[in-house]
Amino acid sequence: MDALDKLKILADAAKYDVSCSSSGSERKGDKSMLGNTTLPGICHSYAEDGRCISLLKILFTNKCIYDCAYCINRSSNAGIPRAAFTPEELVDITISFYRRNYIEGLFLSSGVVVNPNYTMEMLIKVVKKLREVERFNGYIHLKGIPGADQLLIEHAGMYVDRMSINIELPTTQSLRLLAPQKNRAEMIAPMGLIKEKMAEYGAMRKQFKNTPSFIPAGQSTQLIVGATDEPDLKIIKISEALYKRMSLKRVYYSAYIPVGNISLIPARNNEAAVFGQKQLLKREHRIYQADWLLRFYGFAADEILTKDDPNLDMDVDPKCQWALRNMGLFPVEVNKASLMELLRIPGIGNITARRIIASRRFGPLGFENLTKMGIVMKRAKYFITCSGKTFGTMDLEPIKLKIHLLDAPKGFSNQLSMVELYPRQFGGVTHDLSV
Amino acid sequence: MIYLYDGSFEGALSAVHQMFHDKGAKNDQSLQLRAQYQHQIFDVVVETYPDENRISKVVKSILETFGSETFRKIGYAYLSEDEGFGTMLYRFLKRAYKLGANAMENLSDPDILAIYKAYNAVARESHRMIGFMRFAELEQKVFYAQFEPTYDLLSLVVPHFQDRLSDQVWVIHDTKRRKAAFYNKETVHFSDLDPVDTLYFSSVEKVYQQMWQAYFDHIAIDERKSPKRHTQLMPKKYWNFLTEKMPSKNLLK
Repeated sequence: MDALDKLKILADAAKYDVSCSSSGSERKGDKSMLGNTTLPGICHSYAEDGRCISLLKILFTNKCIYDCAYCINRSSNAGIPRAAFTPEELVDITISFYRRNYIEGLFLSSGVVVNPNYTMEMLIKVVKKLREVERFNGYIHLKGIPGADQLLIEHAGMYVDRMSINIELPTTQSLRLLAPQKNRAEMIAPMGLIKEKMAEYGAMRKQFKNTPSFIPAGQSTQLIVGATDEPDLKIIKISEALYKRMSLKRVYYSAYIPVGNISLIPARNNEAAVFGQKQLLKREHRIYQADWLLRFYGFAADEILTKDDPNLDMDVDPKCQWALRNMGLFPVEVNKASLMELLRIPGIGNITARRIIASRRFGPLGFENLTKMGIVMKRAKYFITCSGKTFGTMDLEPIKLKIHLLDAPKGFSNQLSMVELYPRQFGGVTHDLSV
Repeated sequence: MIYLYDGSFEGALSAVHQMFHDKGAKNDQSLQLRAQYQHQIFDVVVETYPDENRISKVVKSILETFGSETFRKIGYAYLSEDEGFGTMLYRFLKRAYKLGANAMENLSDPDILAIYKAYNAVARESHRMIGFMRFAELEQKVFYAQFEPTYDLLSLVVPHFQDRLSDQVWVIHDTKRRKAAFYNKETVHFSDLDPVDTLYFSSVEKVYQQMWQAYFDHIAIDERKSPKRHTQLMPKKYWNFLTEKMPSKNLLK
């Protein structure tokens, strides 16, 4: 089998992992090396599913000893071709793609062959060769294999920008049902180790300038949404804990696509089968919005959803959902509100809130100004006053108001991302809301 | 009163200095491109020409009053090649000197917003192009990239590639504006360059182009395909030069 065939098979096998970000690491170029990294990351292409292609996202091999019901690469799946790269092939493709500016670097994962340690060692061989032989200075995101020895995880961390260990299933019960060979502790332990080591190396760097970097872009993980029946509140609570306790940079959510062993995934849980793929993608989108509220808007999971209202509203975004539940806090005076208060207004985001604060120092803002500055008035107008004035007379009864908020806004692609505009605030750090 | 300038950045700065200092100037002044101006019967026209003294005074004043970041934004706005840049710049400075050092932050002011928007469009596209640039390996290990950005941003993307691909010889060619940047592993040199009829690719180029196209096809999840989102994020105007999207006639056989 030639490298082209392997590439096709192993790209197919890798694509259900949604993460592809190349952000969080800033490393200047060096004449003796190839490449650099930029804090906000760079998208090089967009696949036909609309997802950004930044890294060469690929498996080392799709052979796997595990039989996880949700996974296309599970050992019992006889329907797919299997392949394995040699380290040389993979290194050559990565370098050749990088020199042509196709990619920002490598995102390497693998099925588990022989055992977790053996697999982890293979992955290390590839990244070590890239760094030490090819002098590759671009971005590397490596999957940690659950169950691999801590020393191997730490060793790998010396070569890569980001490491991730996928949790995949939100609860221990779901894990027992769909991936009986894996256990939760084997996933959480390396996360804790990475967090600890990152802090250790960080402290050392303050003292000794030449301390090598250790996973400078931090760690991330992925949760599958819709293969099991957890409510949204459960999912964002887990994310909140991961951000706070494990200092994760990102939690990715992946709407479950029925590639797995359908018989094991109970039909009532399989949302894609019950409600259709479109509906599930919408749910994934809403969870991402809630995740943004956690990371960049100062919300707690318990504010976004409550025990009585544990699922995200598919009709309006999570911030509107929260606002409609808390109408007593509105309207907010745009010319006086603090950054944190502005951030809680539907239709105002991180960029526009900062614009408001910067420009109102020159004089009070009116509704005219707000529209021009990019505030989504369609939503914001119900929740704000400008110098005491409301935007016409309005019915602020939540149920009626919700009807006004229904249509999704257009033109998202015309906005600069926050990391581009405020790389220091948003490039790597979570929970940092300072201006 | 209508001022005319040669279309260069320096020409605009020089003209603006003149506009600020002309006695008896009216409020409705504009600064237009000489090459495009068509005379109307009541127009009062003043010709301006780049003047070293005026240019350095304006540059110094902008840097001292607003700082280098604002100057950089003005430079980006110029690269938008907006025909109205001259007048936009004049009105911006007129407002900005009244608002003071942080004038650029007052986006509720239309004259400030106009320059900011032009800057933003150029900054956005140049970030995009840093990702969308595609090099192909020619004979003798020269990496050649062709592109035709909406705005004139060759000079903005070059430093990125100088830092990143510092150990390979490359050429970035803006075929729309017929100019190119040449890098020889040491320095960058800019020069006019007409579109090249025939490129001589290295023997391995085809292999990697095919691999990249295959990767691009296979990485998309069929169940999530969304042509609308795809073209929104990667507009068709760029497809001619993207290895994974280019029409098949441009591909290596």
